[in-house]
Amino acid sequence: MSTQIEENAVAQAAKQTVAKVLLIEDDQETAEQITAELADHGFEVEWSADGIAGLDKARTLHPDAMIVDRLLPGMDGLTIIEALRKERVRTPVLVLSALGAVNDRVRGLRMGGDDYLTKPFATVELVARIEALLRRPTESRDTIRRVGALELDLIERTARRGERVIDLLPREFRLLEYMMQHSGQLLTRAMLLEEVWNYKFIPTTNLVDVHMGRLRHKVDGPGETSMIHNVRGAGFILRTVD
Amino acid sequence: MKIPLRQPKFLGSATFYMTLVVAAVFGVFIIVLFGFIYGKIDRYLIARSDGVITAQINGIIDLPRELIQQAVDERLRQDPRGVQLAAIFAADGHRVGGNLQNMPPDLRIGGPAQAAKIVRIDRNGGEQQKIRAIARRIDSNDVLVMGRNIDEASELTLVVSEAMALGLVPGFCLCLVAGAGISRRAQRRVAEVNERVQRIVAGDLHERLPYSSGTEPFSRLAIIVNGMLDEMEGMIRALEGVGNDIAHDLRTPLTRARLILERGLSHATTLEQLQAAADKAIAGIDQSLSIVTALLRLAEIENSRRSAGFGYVAIGDMLREVFDIYEPIADSRGITLRIGISSELAVLGDRDLLMEAVANLVDNAIKFTPEGGRVDLELLREGHETIVRVSDTGGGIAEQEREAVLRRFYRSDKIRNTPGVGLGLNLVAAIVRLHGFRLVIRSGPGARVEIICLDQPDQDGEAQWTPATAQAVSPVLEQAS
Repeated sequence: MSTQIEENAVAQAAKQTVAKVLLIEDDQETAEQITAELADHGFEVEWSADGIAGLDKARTLHPDAMIVDRLLPGMDGLTIIEALRKERVRTPVLVLSALGAVNDRVRGLRMGGDDYLTKPFATVELVARIEALLRRPTESRDTIRRVGALELDLIERTARRGERVIDLLPREFRLLEYMMQHSGQLLTRAMLLEEVWNYKFIPTTNLVDVHMGRLRHKVDGPGETSMIHNVRGAGFILRTVD
Repeated sequence: MKIPLRQPKFLGSATFYMTLVVAAVFGVFIIVLFGFIYGKIDRYLIARSDGVITAQINGIIDLPRELIQQAVDERLRQDPRGVQLAAIFAADGHRVGGNLQNMPPDLRIGGPAQAAKIVRIDRNGGEQQKIRAIARRIDSNDVLVMGRNIDEASELTLVVSEAMALGLVPGFCLCLVAGAGISRRAQRRVAEVNERVQRIVAGDLHERLPYSSGTEPFSRLAIIVNGMLDEMEGMIRALEGVGNDIAHDLRTPLTRARLILERGLSHATTLEQLQAAADKAIAGIDQSLSIVTALLRLAEIENSRRSAGFGYVAIGDMLREVFDIYEPIADSRGITLRIGISSELAVLGDRDLLMEAVANLVDNAIKFTPEGGRVDLELLREGHETIVRVSDTGGGIAEQEREAVLRRFYRSDKIRNTPGVGLGLNLVAAIVRLHGFRLVIRSGPGARVEIICLDQPDQDGEAQWTPATAQAVSPVLEQAS
């Protein structure tokens, strides 16, 4: 894994208070790997192996985010989320499951899970999604988005970098908008496919890379410092030039 | 797994019980019938006796007193069987002549014939009898009684019972034997079938059920089951083939990953070299996982039913979206992607799945078209059909390969080295089947694949959004700006 992300995550964690993540997962090996990976990225992790104890911890510990396996001894993962949402606990939840079916996914999200990850998954993917959940974009009335010199007018549908106007196709505009919402965060290809292309399946071609290549060509003009970074084997980050 | 089958003796079998019940019902019916016949005959005999004695008494009652006496005597004399009974009683009740000891007490004088109990006197002494009798007053208050023995009727009872016993008992026995025979036969056939089925369950898929002719119900059933077994055997064999394919396709990347890791472990001298090996190994494992994911997705689509989530999908918009997504990819490979939509059409379906199908076709077409080639995505309407056509200028699909490409993991030898899972067209086929559409592979300069959506009959009166004017209009192909 690239050291860039780690630096980035550590820096993020140092900026804020340490984020507490509750992990409810019955497989010990998986739980240990996830705990270690999250700890590397500066999270404090609480682990619970069964549903009922997990729900208790969710009520008493007030975690900043939760990772919940769907199939658990004692209580089903979705039941836990349902119970918490009824108690008006709005902690963001990432649902883990071996069931990859689209319908399951829809159900998971409808029950109040905020994101869904199918097993097996890459740890990079898990960390990226947890970071995205912890820093959900605040609802802004502002119709102009800014990241560094980059400026996006949501009404006029125009983009500029400093004085230079960037000519974007609709799909590129949506991609850039999403990346600006999550600037400084690692966005995996799967996340981009789901959020920008609304794809419910993984295409065989390097679709995201081609589109990202075009956008990058437009955003990072000749002689300008790169804002869009490719994290090898993981995804992309939009970062301010400092 | 063993199929439990009790093997009851034929006495306990349902067939045998059925026979018993039928025999019992039959017996009751026979008894009622005989009873009815007996009653009818009995009544007939009595009526006849009554007629005879009434005629006799009417024949002599009007004769003078002496002649009556003579006639009675004459009658009794000419009665070798001894069925004739007659007597004349005086007003005080004592017998003037005839063979009755005394006047029957409840016999009404002047009434019709009725049953009476009397004692008959003759040379052998007195004998009590049940008779039909009639009494008439003659002049000077004397009473003439004439009667007839009805012992014939009780003889008849005996005959009827004998006949019944002769008919009923052998009949009943025959029923029992037939029932036992039939149930034993059925039992034997079930046992035989069970034996064969056990062999099939044990894994001998070639075994079939025995049958003799095509007309007997049991044989017909066996033929039907055999047909089903043929079908299932074929499916199981096909599944085995798929299993082998899967195993092979999974093993290839896993073997590669293993070799890379092994080599990394023994040869890597720096951390970077080990990391590079691990990276390559992970890529191999990811490929295996993507095969598993694709298979699960395929199974999911194949097992799902036409869902309530179906709605009208604006196909044109969907195709434009696919075009938007794939245009840069085609461009990056030096391929021209064009889109042509003759008119705005809609079909009933699941938008996400249909988009996945079309995206897969375009993805495939781009992958198998060499640089400088062209891929066309078209929407057209012919008769009652809405057609999505993806054509390319690639190598095309050979006639003999057209069916094979829809098989799982099929990859033409020509394209073995192109990366991919080899399940794309299967997935498209499964989605198309789920919608009740047709997938057609046509010959063309390159490959030409069409999804043919037949118009759905209107179900809930909702107007279908397909302009009737759009008949076989060739779309104008356009490229992105």
